[in-house]
Amino acid sequence: MLDLKILRELEETLGRGRVKTDMESLISYSYDGTFQERLPDAVVKAHDVSEVSNIMKISGAYGVPVVPRGAGTGLSGGVVPLKGGIVLEMTAFNKIIEINMRNKYAIVEPGVYTNDFAEAVEKVGLFYPPDPASSKSSTLGGNVAECAGGPRGVKYGVTKDYVMGLELVLPDGEILNVGNMVDGETGWFDLPLLLTGSEGTLGIITKIIFRLIDNPEHKQTLLAKYDQVIDAGKTVSSIIKNGVIPTTLEIMDRTTIQAVENFLKIGLDTEKDAFLLLEVDGSKYEVAKQLEQVKQICLECGAVEVETASTKEESDRLWKARRSISGACGKINPTKIGEDATVPRSKIPEMIVRLREIAKKYQLKMVIFGHAGDGNLHPNILTDKRNSEEMERVEKAVSELFNAAVSLGGTLSGEHGIGYMKAPFLKMEMGETGYQTLKKVKEVFDPKGVLNPGKMFMDEEMF
Amino acid sequence: MSKHRQEIWENELAKCIKCGTCRSVCQVFQSVDDESYVARGKMRLVDAYLNNKINLTDGLAQRMSMCLMCKACTASCPSGVKTDRVFLEMRNYLAEEKGLSKVKRMAFTWLKYRNIFDFSLRFGAFFQGLVFKGLPDRNGRIPRFPIPVAGFNQRRIIPTLAKRPLRSMLPEVVKIDKPKMRVAFFTGCMMNYVYPESGLALVDVLRANDIEVVTPKKQQCCGTPIFTSGDFKTGRLLVKQNLTAFCDLDVDAIVAGCASGGVAWKHEFQTILEEDDEMLPVAKKLAEKSYDISEFLSKIELNNNFGRVEKTVTYHDPCHLNRGQGISKEPRDLIKAIPGIKFIEMSHADNCCGSGGSFNLSYYEVSRDINNKKVKSIGEVKPDIVLTGCSACRMHIEDGLFQSGLNIPVRHTIELLAESYRKQGVI
Repeated sequence: MLDLKILRELEETLGRGRVKTDMESLISYSYDGTFQERLPDAVVKAHDVSEVSNIMKISGAYGVPVVPRGAGTGLSGGVVPLKGGIVLEMTAFNKIIEINMRNKYAIVEPGVYTNDFAEAVEKVGLFYPPDPASSKSSTLGGNVAECAGGPRGVKYGVTKDYVMGLELVLPDGEILNVGNMVDGETGWFDLPLLLTGSEGTLGIITKIIFRLIDNPEHKQTLLAKYDQVIDAGKTVSSIIKNGVIPTTLEIMDRTTIQAVENFLKIGLDTEKDAFLLLEVDGSKYEVAKQLEQVKQICLECGAVEVETASTKEESDRLWKARRSISGACGKINPTKIGEDATVPRSKIPEMIVRLREIAKKYQLKMVIFGHAGDGNLHPNILTDKRNSEEMERVEKAVSELFNAAVSLGGTLSGEHGIGYMKAPFLKMEMGETGYQTLKKVKEVFDPKGVLNPGKMFMDEEMF
Repeated sequence: MSKHRQEIWENELAKCIKCGTCRSVCQVFQSVDDESYVARGKMRLVDAYLNNKINLTDGLAQRMSMCLMCKACTASCPSGVKTDRVFLEMRNYLAEEKGLSKVKRMAFTWLKYRNIFDFSLRFGAFFQGLVFKGLPDRNGRIPRFPIPVAGFNQRRIIPTLAKRPLRSMLPEVVKIDKPKMRVAFFTGCMMNYVYPESGLALVDVLRANDIEVVTPKKQQCCGTPIFTSGDFKTGRLLVKQNLTAFCDLDVDAIVAGCASGGVAWKHEFQTILEEDDEMLPVAKKLAEKSYDISEFLSKIELNNNFGRVEKTVTYHDPCHLNRGQGISKEPRDLIKAIPGIKFIEMSHADNCCGSGGSFNLSYYEVSRDINNKKVKSIGEVKPDIVLTGCSACRMHIEDGLFQSGLNIPVRHTIELLAESYRKQGVI
């Protein structure tokens, strides 16, 4: 429980009724898209930068944790208030301030929904590529804080490749502006890059400047079917090696294909061990050329069948299977635990073998249907969270999966962030020196440790 | 608590992966921007209750009642969680444990006693001139003072109540020489008491297609507003009376002109009779021959001797027709079949209009906020009329258009068809 004095001070700053402490509100702000739930002590929604600043001043003065929150769709536990304190809802920051067509940038507030922004940008003929699966419900602030990715990452990169500047409120209430609208800035430390993916542990994002690019003229989709999932893995490595960069390159393994077919009954070939779903974009000439090249590579690597879609309807049909995976998995087992451990593309075949071994070892149902193009295989374990014995096996399997990714030269997180879920493994990836360096950076920004405590860093002595 | 109910909750809770997709479709959530009002949040509240972390508080009841039952969260859920069922069960549980709110209790007692309801509404139609201010076009009225029983907001307009309910104007059987088919007509309350002209149009259109229409006098409110508020007991009573009124009829189909009534006949009667071994088979049997009017007309060989109607129209998808029964193409096809019609699709035609049955009585401001988006979509199209398949949507959209100063009438799809037949002299 927060001291009444602190609650009163918050209410004096924000106004009556704006500090929620009723049980219904606390429960509703105790989670995100992960499993742990922790009750905050209070929930507040800020309407402007000065309010954020005032909240931080109070939190700093009393050492009360503050957890900034967008839509709460994160998948690493970024907004779960592990140490209680204040959940600071940022959804009222919902304006697109400017889309500059001549200089190709946009200034937005962090509470804008990702898809709304992408559509607004498309309307003026430009393109904002990051497309996390949750884009219809996720906010841009959360995307920046977790450095979200998406299927287009293979060609267009992830959120950090588009952040040019940020406005943040620091833990002492001061307002920091970093970066600008100039694309070629090279001097000093790249602070926007440092702060993108900082998971609300360094400052609270109140404004974002995004880089925008031109909209590709044409797109085309291709589906390749394989008798061996390893061949699909080899195709991915080979495509990249040959210099073709598809917009998206998605893999679906046999378990996934079967689950989707059972769910949709659209006549998918369930005898196949894997599908690759590819999209290429560019000028009409480029698209045709790339598509032919990709088709050849698929066949050389062992694809037994290749389908191309020329109309939007055909391509929608090919994508339908991919989009229905979540629902299909729900029919098999109620609980789905998805990971985003990512490996270098050349290691994809090896990672697939390891994942299958892990699933077998712990007798778990695992589906693989990830963004193979950037090495992010998205292994998903299908389980039932009410089965505590199986959940223990899941935990062991997940830890082994992280080990496998790191040992193949990969990373814990291709797009979800570290949060609390992967914090225990961070040292393994960073090494002692790397880890201590991260901690020192944290100390510079947040010496009292009030911002999103318990995330990324496991040891608490600094807090 | 019944084991059946607990199982429903536990199974659905296990499926929720807390992805938050429901945030992108929930109209109420988007209006209030508070996680505790979206399906994901409410699922966590049900979970908290099951795990003894929260009691049946007023706050919990408030979250459960502030829902349009538009099924948008259910339809969009990637894990297939039956959120609508979870919240319906919680509403029922709350009603059992804590009782219905006073306003709803009074309104529903009226509905249960059909004769009194008939009388009081007819009485209302006669005296409403004293109570309501008439609109300039005499299409609707503004209450002169708030009526607590109906929860009417002072700003709200409601249409002039019918002088005579539809069913009192219709014979039990509308005879046809050599009928091709014989159908039973379930009118629903809104067509019966508020928009009888829609009901008459529906009968005319069926007549134009050589179909004999039986309108059982003993039919009742479908019970939807009652059991969705949690009162399963009264709901079951009405459902059983309806099943009894229709089960012995010699008809090829049961046709509803009311979106919620259609969902009730097709699905919800079975849901609330799940544990009633005697009546459940009856509900199942009748569900198989229940149709929405637009769906029914798309299945028969339609008389296409349509007269020209030179109008620009748009169509609003009622939640209980679109998501509730999967019917969105049929009404559009009917509309487009009429010569002279210029059909323009409005943006987000499938977004809820904000009415939500009695939701708009309890939460008028939020309901209006949601409806304003609908009004904006309609304003962009600038149609001569707005068509829809639900009289509750019609009433709420009419109210919204009026409040925004837009003089665009709203009609049931079937009225356009009747107009077209009339122009051709078919009826």
